[in-house]
Order: sequence, then C-alpha cells, then structure tokens
Amino acid sequence: MSSVSQRPLELILARNLMSALSTPAFLVDEGGLLVFYNEAAGMLLGKRFEEVGTVGPDEWGSMFGPFDGSGEPIPYDELPLVVAVRNGRPAHAGFEIRSTDGARHTVEASAFPILTAHGTRGAIAVFWPCAQDGAGPSSNGAAAR
Amino acid sequence: MKVKLWGTRGSVPSPGPETIRYGGNTSCVGVTLSDGSLLALDAGTGIRNLGLSLPDEPTRLHILLTHLHLDHIQGLVFFAPAFRPQTEIVIWGPASPEASLRDRIARYISAPLSPVEVRELPCDVSFRHTPEAEWEIGSARIRAASVAHRGPTLGYRIDDGDSSLAYIPDHEPALGADIETLEEDWISGFALARDASLLIHDGQYADPEYPDHLGWGHSSLSHALAFARRTGAERTVLFHHDPLNSDEQLDRLGEEARERWLASGGAAERLELGVEGAEYEPRPQSSPPTAAVRAI
Repeated sequence: MSSVSQRPLELILARNLMSALSTPAFLVDEGGLLVFYNEAAGMLLGKRFEEVGTVGPDEWGSMFGPFDGSGEPIPYDELPLVVAVRNGRPAHAGFEIRSTDGARHTVEASAFPILTAHGTRGAIAVFWPCAQDGAGPSSNGAAAR
Repeated sequence: MKVKLWGTRGSVPSPGPETIRYGGNTSCVGVTLSDGSLLALDAGTGIRNLGLSLPDEPTRLHILLTHLHLDHIQGLVFFAPAFRPQTEIVIWGPASPEASLRDRIARYISAPLSPVEVRELPCDVSFRHTPEAEWEIGSARIRAASVAHRGPTLGYRIDDGDSSLAYIPDHEPALGADIETLEEDWISGFALARDASLLIHDGQYADPEYPDHLGWGHSSLSHALAFARRTGAERTVLFHHDPLNSDEQLDRLGEEARERWLASGGAAERLELGVEGAEYEPRPQSSPPTAAVRAI
C-alpha cells in the first residue's frame, strides 16, 4: 500500500481556488497548521507562502500578530480561523496584523470551517484590508464573534 | 489479480462502427482478486457484458462506484446477476450529506427511469458508504479517496499481494493548479496512484479540447501524462474516452500520447489507451519508478 500522505481533497480544492483570488486568504488544516496562503496574503504580510512554508499556530501568531486596537496580541483561541476549525462555525473579527517590514495593517477577517462527510478538515479565512480613511474594523479589535 | 476493461467510454454510450475497436460501453472494469473474489469498478453499460460472462451460480461480488453520474451506474439494471436470488451484491460508493447511497441510486432504479425498483431486485443487495480508512475485500486491501471531479467522487486503490491497481476514471487533477510543479501531497489522487502496478486514469480530452471543458471534471492528455509520470505508476491506461472521438481519432490521440511519453523518457509499453475487452495482470514494480522521466 502506498504510504504517501495526501491532503484531503477539500483542502486541495480550497487551495486551488484561493490561488486564483486577489483577496488575501489563509488555509489551516484540521490541526490548526497554516498550510497555505495566497499571493494576495503574501503581499499583505510581506512574505510569500513559499518562503514561510507550513507553520504551527504559535509561529504564525508570533510572525504576524494579530493585535487588538490597543496593540495587545489577540489570544490564539479567539482568532477567527481557530474558532472556525475548533468549533466548526464561522467567525469574524477585526484586528491589526504586522507585516515583515513592521507595518501594521487593519483588516476584517472572516473564517469558516471546511466540513466534510468525515468531519472538519480545516478552515479558510479571508482578510479584507481596511482603507486608512477611518473605515477601520467594525469591532475595533474585538475577538472573533 | 486480473483486470478486464468492460467499458472504456465516458459520458454516454457510443456504439457504432466508428467506435467498435475502443468500444462504446461506459465505465466498468472487472477485477478478479487472487483469492477469486470478484469486484466491478463502476457500473456503466459495460457491466452488462460482465454480468453475462458470469456463471449462473451463487455469486458474491462487490461493485465499487466512483460516483453516481449516469455513465457509471447505467448498467446496474441490466446486470444479469442482480436478477438472481442466489447473488449477493455489495455496492460501495461515496457518502453525501444529501441522502444515503441507496436512496441516491434508487433515483435511477425507480419509475419513471426504470421498470424495476431497488426493493424488487431478487438478489441480496446492500449499500455501503466507503470508509475513510482502508478495508479488506477477499485478498485485497481497498482504499477510497475523494478526487477532483464534479460532485462527490472517489478514486480507488486495490492492493492484492504485491500488485496494485489504481482506478481514477473521472479526474481533473490540474484544475486551478500546475500539476507539473505542485507538491505531491497537494495533487488530487496522488496517494492512490503512487507506484501502482496499473493505473487506469481519465484521459478524456486532447489538449485542444480541454479549454472548452475546463472544470468539467476530466483530464487533458497533458494532465493525464503528467499525473502518470509523477505518480510513477508501472503501467498507465488512459480511460473514459470522449464519446465524440472515433477509433481513428483515438488512434491519433494514442499516437500523440506515446510520442510524448517516449520523448519524456517513458517506456512505450507503460502507456496505452484503454480498449474494451483488454485484460491485464498487474505486476509489482519491476524497475525504478519513472520519477526521473522528464516533463512532457
């Protein structure tokens, strides 16, 4: 029997779709590992996914934040992606992230779980960068809701 | 393990003088395991002749459906063993959140599409969703995995002793992705086909035909060749021929496939187009995988 590991098809198709989007999008597997983000997300973060590779939640949290409105790191458990993959429900929040050049970007993030016949396979989060004209995140740094 | 192609056509049966060599029946592959257990991979119209080939005696067999498009189940109500009380049939297929496998198949085996209902079949028939983990049938270990096609669709891998068969008849592994550069674990169906003794894979479209069928769930020739090369299958049979392609057109497609396969460093005897009635005895890998073959 072949021993090659295989990503679930739902993650494969999600990655293919995300690759074609101009909206920053992130993909985690069922264990919360960040397994992909697209070029638009790479531009926002200042680093392409190929440079980062698959990283665990502690790493991507420390690399990019996120931070609430007062600059404090948002607890991992409260991030939309984590809520989506752990609780199996959609989640939304507004917060700041830090790119590799130190710049901070205000974003709105929506995440939803990838549910299959065999359970939750992961989650997708789409980031919507907020314009710097006062149209900041609606919750001003609130945790996922 | 012995393998016989009973139907190689995709989409819709296409009988006639122009398809007589490659065949006009839709997808069905018969497998006889080393312990004598019988499997049918898909139940397109090819399963009718498979059924007629079986002796009229108590039989237990398993039908492994990749999905429920009509070209993969149309032969069920013309499968002679299903009308014998002494036959036991286990039908495996993909789960769906919408309805059970039995209920979804019953939409076809019911009025007004069929003169008989599932409950009227004289045989002992049961329906099972394929498990996530591998399972055993007779002397084989079976694995099913979702693959890129429209709707819930599976590919299968059957390991019997040292030989293995991968069956992925409806597959678009390069949809939205570059199959030449994608990491192996991100290629749909890769683990099923990896180093298989025999890979039966979608080869429906010539490259010029593919752009008009993007997202229809099938492979172009380039995608099929790349998938075969990257998975390192010992032998590849291109399958699910487009119903619009005559024998002459398939001859040309096969010739192009062989030329490109050879040009990439592949061995000629390791690639062919599926022909109805063709038989195989998959053997274990006899030489290093074709991972070193150049991009096609």
